[in-house]
Amino acid sequence: MPTIIACYKWVLDEQDIKINPGSLDLDTSRAKSKISDYDRNAIEEAVVQAEQSGAEVASLTFGNSKAKQSLKDALSRGPAKAYWVNDALADSADAFVTANVLAAALKKAGQYDVILCGEGASDTYAQQVGPRVATLLGIPAITFVSEMKIEGDKVIATRKIGDCTEVVTSSFPVLVTVLPEINKPRIPSLKQVLGAAKKPITEWSAADLGLAAEQTTAKNKIKSIKGFVMSRKNVIYKDGTPADKVAGLVASLKKEGVL
Amino acid sequence: MAGIWIYSEDTIITQQIITLGRELAEKLQQPVCALTLYAQDAQTLIAAGADKVIVMKGDNPWPESYAEAIAAQAEAQQPGVFFIGATLRGKDLAAKIAAKLQTGLITDAQAVRVVDGAIETERMLYGGLAVCTEVLSGMNVVTIPPRAYDVPAQDAGRSGEIVTVEVTAAAAMAVGNVCPIVRKGADITVAEKLVCVGRGLGKQEDMQLAQDLAAAMGAELCCTRSVAEDYHWLPNEAYVGLSGQKVKPVIYLSMGVSGQVQHVAGIRDSKLIVAIDMNENAPIFGAADYGIVGDLYQVVPLLTEAIKNK
Repeated sequence: MPTIIACYKWVLDEQDIKINPGSLDLDTSRAKSKISDYDRNAIEEAVVQAEQSGAEVASLTFGNSKAKQSLKDALSRGPAKAYWVNDALADSADAFVTANVLAAALKKAGQYDVILCGEGASDTYAQQVGPRVATLLGIPAITFVSEMKIEGDKVIATRKIGDCTEVVTSSFPVLVTVLPEINKPRIPSLKQVLGAAKKPITEWSAADLGLAAEQTTAKNKIKSIKGFVMSRKNVIYKDGTPADKVAGLVASLKKEGVL
Repeated sequence: MAGIWIYSEDTIITQQIITLGRELAEKLQQPVCALTLYAQDAQTLIAAGADKVIVMKGDNPWPESYAEAIAAQAEAQQPGVFFIGATLRGKDLAAKIAAKLQTGLITDAQAVRVVDGAIETERMLYGGLAVCTEVLSGMNVVTIPPRAYDVPAQDAGRSGEIVTVEVTAAAAMAVGNVCPIVRKGADITVAEKLVCVGRGLGKQEDMQLAQDLAAAMGAELCCTRSVAEDYHWLPNEAYVGLSGQKVKPVIYLSMGVSGQVQHVAGIRDSKLIVAIDMNENAPIFGAADYGIVGDLYQVVPLLTEAIKNK
């Protein structure tokens, strides 16, 4: 019976982040967290594949103590158990650190045939943790997958890469990063939500994984994070009849010389 | 710092990044070294501005399989910075190289500049809501989006060193059935004019409104993610946004697009942004140069007529 591990990141919901108009600093004080959108596709795909191949599914995340809230959400989506690397180091982690931690956790978990990740995280969208983890584990990575199936001990996946698709076949163990179009994550049922509370959770700290300080220190040095300001003309026609507004817009576009 | 390295599996993109490489080379007094899988392109890269070209000669046609060999070259020669074209193949390869080298990787740098002798990059965070400025240190890998820079003029008089390295490209996977994605429409990433359809449009038949407007303007059609992924009114290749296409037309005109941050991230390089939407508070108006607050079913036919009769 194959083992599938779906990795996810517990991220701030960008819709709740406000930008301070003067300083352009981000105000995250009222931001709720969520399982990164693309990672929901990874969890869903793990569960879909398990339904077809009889595999066992576990989830894996690296987050600070607040990521505890994510475990029930993840487990209600179908995995039988959860691994959680609970460490404040997650706050300063870049993809280098995250990949080191996840790879170490996967080694400690011991058994993995297929590792699933989203194509990128919805906060950083750095699109690198998946292939990094595969490289660290010395296994193949099949990235940007729009369709996959498991046959025996092989994964057959269709990658969608810019202007072409290609079909890639790899034996276990293999890491797959999925595109959002691969599936539509189901909304957990009440029964699944209630059942999630009974599923086993394994919790580790970074120290439990035997990682050296160097491996948990971010390589990317952040100088600043500021709200993005789109500087545009903002000429909006909102009063008058539709014909008036269209006349106003057409006059503006003619003046711009774009018609 | 020992050199500015540049690689893409697409020689056009390698040349585009050489434009950036030359700019940094002058400021940092560093040579530009381009890597390629194609020996026949080496001279082109020299003429475009590379001081040195390393040809990675292997027998695997699959570009991703060269990650290990390229990482080994970088490990041995320790470039100061390594720019890789941010195609999806490039991003896959860059992540594997960064993992091999145990180094940082900046994805999709929007801006690269030299400040106090160090390289600084800017990239988007939170779906485009914020900009993160990072300072490179050590041997960083940075991916650069295609078309971020123009291809430099070829200078046939330039000379440079061409080194060929025989490598084994690992084939841990079987790759087959490579087939081009047949686009139903034009390539929206290079279109001069775009009409974008959002969820404000009630049903698929109403796409005719957008088609008529696009025809009057001489524009191509694109859409938001849900119009492609959930409704399939246009192919997936036609959706614009962070995980979709990034466009830079002269004019982008949206109808019924609310303007979620991830969508706006894909249109921010448009010269002129025009929005039509019912909801006065839709974020798209904050990102627009011009807009009409109103019912698109009334506004769009009038606009189409007005443009036809201009």
